[in-house]
Amino acid sequence: MLFAQIMVNGLLLGGLYGLMALGMALVWGVLNIVNLAHGAVVMLGGYCVYFLFTGAGIDPFAALPIAMVVMFALGYLLQRYVLNLIIRSAQLNTLLITFGLDVVLTYLAQLAFSADFRAINPSYAGANLTWMGVTIPLVRLGAFVTALILAGLLWALLQRTRLGRAIRATAQNLVAARLYGVNPAQLYAVTFGLGAALAGAAGGLYGMVSQVTPYVGAALTAKSFVITIMGGLENPFGILLGGVFIGIAEALAAIYIGPTFTDAISFGLLLLILVARPARSLRGA
Amino acid sequence: MSAGAQPMLEARGLTRRFHGLYAVNDVSFTLQPGEILGLIGPNGAGKTTLINLISGTLFADQGELIFEDRRIERLHPYQRAHIGIGRTFQVMKPFPRLSVLENVTVGALFGFGGGERNRDKAREQARALLEFTGLDRRMDQNADQLGGPDRKRLELAKALAMRPKLLLLDEVMAGLNHVEVDEVVTIIKKIRDSGVTILVIEHVMRAIRSLSDRIIVLHHGEKIAEGLPDTVLADARVVEAYLGKRRA
Amino acid sequence: MVRAILLILAVVFLAAAPFFGDAVMIQYGIDALLFATLAQAWNILGGFTGYASFGNSAFYGLGTYGTAIAMAQLHLPFWVGLSLGAFLAVLCAVVIGLPILRLRGHYFAIATLGLSATLAAIISNLDISGRNIGLILPLTRNDVGFYEEALALLVASTLTVMWIAKSRFGMGLIAIREDEDAAQVMGINTTFYKVVALMLSAFFTAIAGGIHAYWITFIDPASAFDLSLNVRMVIMAMFGGPGTVLGPVVGSFILSAVYDALARSISTAAALLFGMVIVLAVIFMPRGLWDLGHGLRQVGWRYFLQNIRLHRL
Repeated sequence: MLFAQIMVNGLLLGGLYGLMALGMALVWGVLNIVNLAHGAVVMLGGYCVYFLFTGAGIDPFAALPIAMVVMFALGYLLQRYVLNLIIRSAQLNTLLITFGLDVVLTYLAQLAFSADFRAINPSYAGANLTWMGVTIPLVRLGAFVTALILAGLLWALLQRTRLGRAIRATAQNLVAARLYGVNPAQLYAVTFGLGAALAGAAGGLYGMVSQVTPYVGAALTAKSFVITIMGGLENPFGILLGGVFIGIAEALAAIYIGPTFTDAISFGLLLLILVARPARSLRGA
Repeated sequence: MSAGAQPMLEARGLTRRFHGLYAVNDVSFTLQPGEILGLIGPNGAGKTTLINLISGTLFADQGELIFEDRRIERLHPYQRAHIGIGRTFQVMKPFPRLSVLENVTVGALFGFGGGERNRDKAREQARALLEFTGLDRRMDQNADQLGGPDRKRLELAKALAMRPKLLLLDEVMAGLNHVEVDEVVTIIKKIRDSGVTILVIEHVMRAIRSLSDRIIVLHHGEKIAEGLPDTVLADARVVEAYLGKRRA
Repeated sequence: MVRAILLILAVVFLAAAPFFGDAVMIQYGIDALLFATLAQAWNILGGFTGYASFGNSAFYGLGTYGTAIAMAQLHLPFWVGLSLGAFLAVLCAVVIGLPILRLRGHYFAIATLGLSATLAAIISNLDISGRNIGLILPLTRNDVGFYEEALALLVASTLTVMWIAKSRFGMGLIAIREDEDAAQVMGINTTFYKVVALMLSAFFTAIAGGIHAYWITFIDPASAFDLSLNVRMVIMAMFGGPGTVLGPVVGSFILSAVYDALARSISTAAALLFGMVIVLAVIFMPRGLWDLGHGLRQVGWRYFLQNIRLHRL
């Protein structure tokens, strides 16, 4: 039964990880930016939901859309007025500037919110379902379902709407975007905003299943990156699967190898994957 | 070409697929020492892929490549450069933030036999080649400041600096005007006269006709014709596949 | 010639400085010299081949732990410890470099990111390295000695980079940075070149880690395999001018001074400002101080606007 419980824990947490990575994959795939400030945006989303819940008494799940709108605005502005300025610069420069943004966001959060641990605890935080001897915490189940829904919405947006087609065309070719009558600067900002909105939602959920501090960003960025590589840039559901894989691997490692290894495990897996995959398929990224 | 002569390069059944599609399918041919072999075909016929397979930029899925008397299909690109295979790229690949002279010096430092070990001597060789290709006036400019025709010349000079025995030229005349094409044709003939064997991809028919000793035609990755330029260019299948398509 | 004399004078001045400065200045000096060495070491691979390594903090950690294990656990002299650390780091560079240097761009950068996290996890589970508690090295109060060692290491790494910039080897590295496919077909054994560059980088980084460990006398996995240290190396080298001989050194001296001045006021504000400096530097001088120098001489203040015009969407 322990094994089944570990699998369920990993699965539920993995859905959340997958949602987190979706935002990074979208930005990476379309804008060719690996956003090292992604985890910081997740963190800010967590604070957003935390304060909506503790300050305004809004149920955390209901607060998610609000946090998403706020993070969308932040992402839109960052891309429009900062990142767009260097988008054609050397690749390392986009890494560096998003790292700089990560530092700025992290320490702004520390100044504004202090370094305390914050957890989002609604009244139903301790509620569980039990099914065939396996305990399923309601909040984690809710987070998992929310992640699935948002991934589905993203897929529908990309496949079924005019905006989505323009975004996908841009991923192939910047000139093609102009054919859709969209200003590329605008489209880039909207795409980055969408990525940030997904990160914001993931942050809210993360605050419910774990705790938020200003410093969680870096580890979450790293995790998102690993998952993005595993899942590929093309398919939202591939990313969710990557998240589930990492979630389960971490849960297994924590029990069977030792808790000090949980952080190393995703990177160990990443190294293995990068090295095992033929170099040719990774070129030109 | 006497029958018993040792070919410079022999390809046997070269095949390369991308995502299940054949880019090059079971292509065989030989290249005799001192020969200029023209390689033509419509866009997407697999010409550049074939050059990539010979230079090692891509590995073949199947088939054999014999250079002089050794099998080379598993050798890395740099090893093929060391035994005397040099190439140009259709999508030109200059070292953008290095000067024209430095670009060519790299070829001299690392090409045939591992190249010239001394950087000063390599630079002298590069300087001489820049005069030969008519780029000496642009020597100190960065490569990314060159215009189209000069970039083509730079591609050629970089490959020549490697002192190759076999030179693979991928559309070095595309986008050049009449006068420039004639200049490059003259240069290529001079290179051959110095003892270099040449495989040339070209869309400029006038140039390919006057340069080539023989011509191979690729279509959908397969070799559909081979022979003397006038014979091949009159072949009905070639006209249909290649020229006919252009007119359409 | 004039340049060489100026450089020698600068080194003589730096070597004489601790005999005139106070104790605190010497400590800042040691830090600044070690950081400059780390930036220079990063420059060997990152600046010349364009492969941005985030695994140098792993080499630093190996140098740190090699020295600490030799001295604290095996009671061997300092130089044996340094050699052990350097050996471990160079070995790691070969073993890990061969598979991951095939990766390009972001993939390489992030694959190396995993290196220090993984090594830190292993180290904190080994008895010989003191698990996650760390190790204490024998105490030596000789800051001037440490200062001169750090300076010697910086000079050695800079001389190495000077040689690279003039050599056939360096030309090969630069060609890889400019266009790796072209470099390969022109006869450059790119894998070999990249691995050798990584080994050199690992060597100097590990020695710097060893000197720092003996100077600071206490080490643990978190500080030895600190990823933010690697990020500082990258920023300092990029700020100064990647692929130049003196850019990384000058850049890291300037940033160390700025950082220390800020850190003396409030640490959160210092980090915040540091982040802003990075963002602004990437926007306005994406090729570092060295290029900024050229640009200002050629076009004046328009250089900044030019960069934006060149790189914006």
